[in-house]
Amino acid sequence: MRIAIPKGRLQDRALGVFAAAGFDVPDDFSSRKLVFNTGGVEWIFVKDCDVPVYVEHGAADAGIAGLDQILEHECTAYQPLEFDFGRCRMMLIAAPGAPPLATIATKYPRITRQYLDGRGLRAEIVPLGGSVELAAVLSLTSHVIDLVETGETVRVHKLEMQDLVAEISPRLIVGKNVYRTKPREMRELIARIEDTKNASLQSQLP
Amino acid sequence: MAARLRYPTGVRPLLIDETARRRRIETRFIEALERAAFAEVVLPIIDYVEPYAALVDRDANRQSYRFVDREGDLVAIRSDFTPMLARALAPAMRDDELPLRLFYRGDVIRCEASRLGVNRELFQIGAELVGDGSVEADIEMLRLAAGLVREFNGKPTIVYNDVSIAAALGASAREALVTKRVDPSTPLIVRKLIGGQATLDDVAPFAPEAAARLDAIGAALDPEEFVLHLDDFEEGAGYYTGLRFRVYGKSLLAQGGRYDNLYARFGTPAAAIGFTFTIEELD
Repeated sequence: MRIAIPKGRLQDRALGVFAAAGFDVPDDFSSRKLVFNTGGVEWIFVKDCDVPVYVEHGAADAGIAGLDQILEHECTAYQPLEFDFGRCRMMLIAAPGAPPLATIATKYPRITRQYLDGRGLRAEIVPLGGSVELAAVLSLTSHVIDLVETGETVRVHKLEMQDLVAEISPRLIVGKNVYRTKPREMRELIARIEDTKNASLQSQLP
Repeated sequence: MAARLRYPTGVRPLLIDETARRRRIETRFIEALERAAFAEVVLPIIDYVEPYAALVDRDANRQSYRFVDREGDLVAIRSDFTPMLARALAPAMRDDELPLRLFYRGDVIRCEASRLGVNRELFQIGAELVGDGSVEADIEMLRLAAGLVREFNGKPTIVYNDVSIAAALGASAREALVTKRVDPSTPLIVRKLIGGQATLDDVAPFAPEAAARLDAIGAALDPEEFVLHLDDFEEGAGYYTGLRFRVYGKSLLAQGGRYDNLYARFGTPAAAIGFTFTIEELD
């Protein structure tokens, strides 16, 4: 079985999910290795936006990906479990006193297009690779659409949140073809993780 | 000029070795279909968009190359043979010549507007059994599909289900089946389907015909090779009305199913079942 782990923001929590489910997960990242074989599983470490690509094409059997990346890639993999960690909101953001919606900078052009169509709004989309808030600060665009976790970045740059685009949570994703051809293994993987999820919910009860 | 080396998205030429390989596969494939008494038909490479508009959802429409022809009508390059065969056959079909066993071959072009890059010209060979709605026809086509994989020394695994099961459940159940995610409000039957514990006895109360047909298929075919997945369902099932299956060798080789309402849309009702192999995936 090959599992894709997103590097960055979700990496530690994603590994924690599998460790809690009894998997022997890699823990030594001192080398620049991207592929680890431990406990009969091949773990691959890829950029968070690439997890849906690997799983969709069957290069990985399963992985953990944020709903933002799943939607942006129109990934059709199954999403059997949703996690409580790493939740955030995708927001429409602008500087106070910004002009009416005309241009939107974002890392998520596809989601932005759907948001605009869904709201019946018209704006030009400016795709950016990162530090998207800066586009609003420097008036590159009238608005930006980006993820907001604590709201700290928005506050620091004195921007304001105008509308909720989507609630975002990390999900376990499982490739359709592997689910069809190895249903027992894949259902067992899902059940093992689900059990530990439920157990941690129990332990949070007073 | 920028496009000296490049081709339009999704297409490429095949040169000598690749063409020879494709020809070898195609010849063996066609011989096997002819042995099974299937006759070839040829369908046009472009057709009007309008006759198919009601059949195809917006997303599927986006997958085809479309343009305006010399008379000003919107036309599309072939992206799915099955509705084209129905449109070609339905007006000319006579009851006394049914059932018809037909096959076709050729390229389809899909330009799925996704960032995942599934974006290609595919060479496909498809076979259809038109005018026979029986479960025996289902079994014949499933056996034929498995036999074609064996023709290429492959070990087939055919995963099958009936789309009318999900259709008989509500929208929230279908949503759960599409994502495979359940929550506390998910009905027990959907939990059992997704958990893999559901049996045909669980399905029979709300989808009796599907349960009876799947039971007959299961009894006729080797369960090692033909695997029933009662939770296999995806959004946009399109024109499928009953049996739905996917054929795996080393990878996904073919898919197909039953579409008993398709021919009626083109004027002559007829049950039909078929499958399409994508030849690039064989060797």
